[in-house]
Amino acid sequence: MKKVKILTIVLAIILITMISFVGVYVNVQNRMENKVKGYSYAMDIKGARVIRLKKSEGTKTIVKDSEGNQVEDAENLTDEELNEKGYTKENIPENAENILSIENYKKSKEIIENRLQKINEETNKINKQFNLEENNFNYNIALEESTGDILIEIPENDYTDSIVSNIGTVGKFEIIDSETKEVLMTNEDIKTSNILYGSSSSTSSSGTLVYLNIEFTKDGAKKLEDISNKYVKTTENAGDSQENLDENSESTENTENNETTTEKKITMKIDDEEIMSTSFDETLRTGKLQLSVGTASTDSKIVKGYADQASNMAIVLDVGNMPIKYNVEENKYVLSDITSNILKIVEYSIIAISVIALIVLVVKYRLSGLLGVFSFIGLASIFSLIIRYTNVILSLEGIFAIGLVLILNYIFVNKFLSKLRKSENSVWNVTKETYKEYFIKLVPVIIAIVAFCFVNWSPISSFGMVMFWGIVLIAIYNVIITSSLLSIKAKN
Amino acid sequence: MKNISKKQKIILALIAIVIIVGTIVIYTVGFNFDLKYQDTKKLELNIQKDFNISDIKQITDEIFQGQKVIIQKVEVYEDAVSIITKDISNEQKTQLVSKVNEKYGISIDNENTTIGTIPHTRGRDIIKPYIAPLVIITIIILAYLSIRYYRLNSAKVVIKSIGIILLLQILLFSIIAITRIPVGRLTVPMVIIVYLLTLWGITTKFEKNLLNVNNEEKKKN
Repeated sequence: MKKVKILTIVLAIILITMISFVGVYVNVQNRMENKVKGYSYAMDIKGARVIRLKKSEGTKTIVKDSEGNQVEDAENLTDEELNEKGYTKENIPENAENILSIENYKKSKEIIENRLQKINEETNKINKQFNLEENNFNYNIALEESTGDILIEIPENDYTDSIVSNIGTVGKFEIIDSETKEVLMTNEDIKTSNILYGSSSSTSSSGTLVYLNIEFTKDGAKKLEDISNKYVKTTENAGDSQENLDENSESTENTENNETTTEKKITMKIDDEEIMSTSFDETLRTGKLQLSVGTASTDSKIVKGYADQASNMAIVLDVGNMPIKYNVEENKYVLSDITSNILKIVEYSIIAISVIALIVLVVKYRLSGLLGVFSFIGLASIFSLIIRYTNVILSLEGIFAIGLVLILNYIFVNKFLSKLRKSENSVWNVTKETYKEYFIKLVPVIIAIVAFCFVNWSPISSFGMVMFWGIVLIAIYNVIITSSLLSIKAKN
Repeated sequence: MKNISKKQKIILALIAIVIIVGTIVIYTVGFNFDLKYQDTKKLELNIQKDFNISDIKQITDEIFQGQKVIIQKVEVYEDAVSIITKDISNEQKTQLVSKVNEKYGISIDNENTTIGTIPHTRGRDIIKPYIAPLVIITIIILAYLSIRYYRLNSAKVVIKSIGIILLLQILLFSIIAITRIPVGRLTVPMVIIVYLLTLWGITTKFEKNLLNVNNEEKKKN
């Protein structure tokens, strides 16, 4: 009966090993398909999107007046109109010669790096808000100091294209007077920027609204207060103060009520592109400006889209503007040089080392050692399945962690068998003793591993997650399988 | 002062020598960075059909004799190849294009194939993302150790732990510098594993000391 029990456990282990290392094949459309999930790999094993940002060498056309001052919004004027006004067109480089310095290249690289870190944080915040999986992220960045080229490697996933389209944005923020084009606020006035959610229950639209929240510095807050005080929509009785109206203000006359509505507007621009033109309903004293992005919706996909859009803007504003304008010159998916053949070599090496170590175990402990070997193989198989089904992203660090877990389990089994041979206590007592001794020494390692799981850098989190599942498995599996096997054998 | 055995003295002397030599090597020659992190040259060839990396490797081995080369497939269809190596001369480029054309029966234009440059990645950029998490985690662990082993004198436990963690990391980097092991993708996993093994070793030692203290107290009572 006891032999049958041992045989059943061993057969179960063999079955799991077959499933894990060979797979379960099913006939699908006349071809055999493995139904066991494969591993998910990180950027260093799967491949990465390689982006080369090159400083813009293009030119832009500006219009100057007779005194040599730049005239805004004159691009649409015809040559005749320009001549009439005494304006002249001039082509100037998008990046002036004097800004193309190593310091500015380095500053641009630093800003891109900060943006990438912020994108990672914000994406995970949004995903958490919408109950989506955490985005595993890491990047490589390098600067070619002689040319100013910036080379970036990022993982290929749903967010890659959005990152590529935003990463090279200059991020120049301006609030200007819609009429005079006077610059009222710039990036210098921004303290921080993020996204907020609100709810709307108006008749036209109801649901969640996404806001781009811009928080200004102390000076910026003062400027905003002044602007919001000045750029307002006012309604006055005609004739009362008509002569006092600013010549730049827009005015409409409501003849029926004999009222004049005067609206002085500001224009918000990012990278010289007009985002919005508006006036203020009330004076803003909080130093915060909240702009709604999109319309209210109850569809979480739509709201997430707006949140991603607002988040991109918030990141660009929060991190600051780049001194140099860059263009995406290269944007390619490049597979890793760690090919499947190399991974197979690593796998076979781990198996070969394990086989040698397991032979040592059999030689040292005979039958108990052999049962320990079966137990070890079972753990390795279940561990392999857990990694695949818990969606752990395997990086090179993760592969090292697999090796470390197997070593830790080997040490445990060896310790357990050694204690069992020396002790006259029951298997259960030896198990308790081994567990206490083994895990008390691992507490700092476990603290580190759990903390690694929460780090927003995929190589570390991959290592942490693999180790976490490994340690949990060592703790649960050995008490159930190894201890049971040896307990049955002892009774035998 | 605790007596140090002859064996321990030899080990400490060896560690000191390795660290001194390693520091000199780092400050004079520097680390030997992996090709992936060096200033390199790149050639991209659009083969437009399936190919084996091993076949391309055979060609690059002939042309860049002894030079380390990274070969990667490009784009989702995997029909283009990127060849990265320390330096590529125009002559080598011509040879490479001609051999690839010959091998796959295609006609890549040598004139239109340009040699690209890839800037090096700074060592500090490689390790930067790991510093803050490792420092924070170490602080948490030190707090745990100081509480768990308060009977061994918390201050001593903390100082010893910091000393051993730092010493072993410096030793690891010294060995990497002296042996000229390339600093690259395998360096960080090595650092993490040494860090975890150090924690394990420290705890094992403190547990042993704690057991001795407890036993001595039991004897006294």
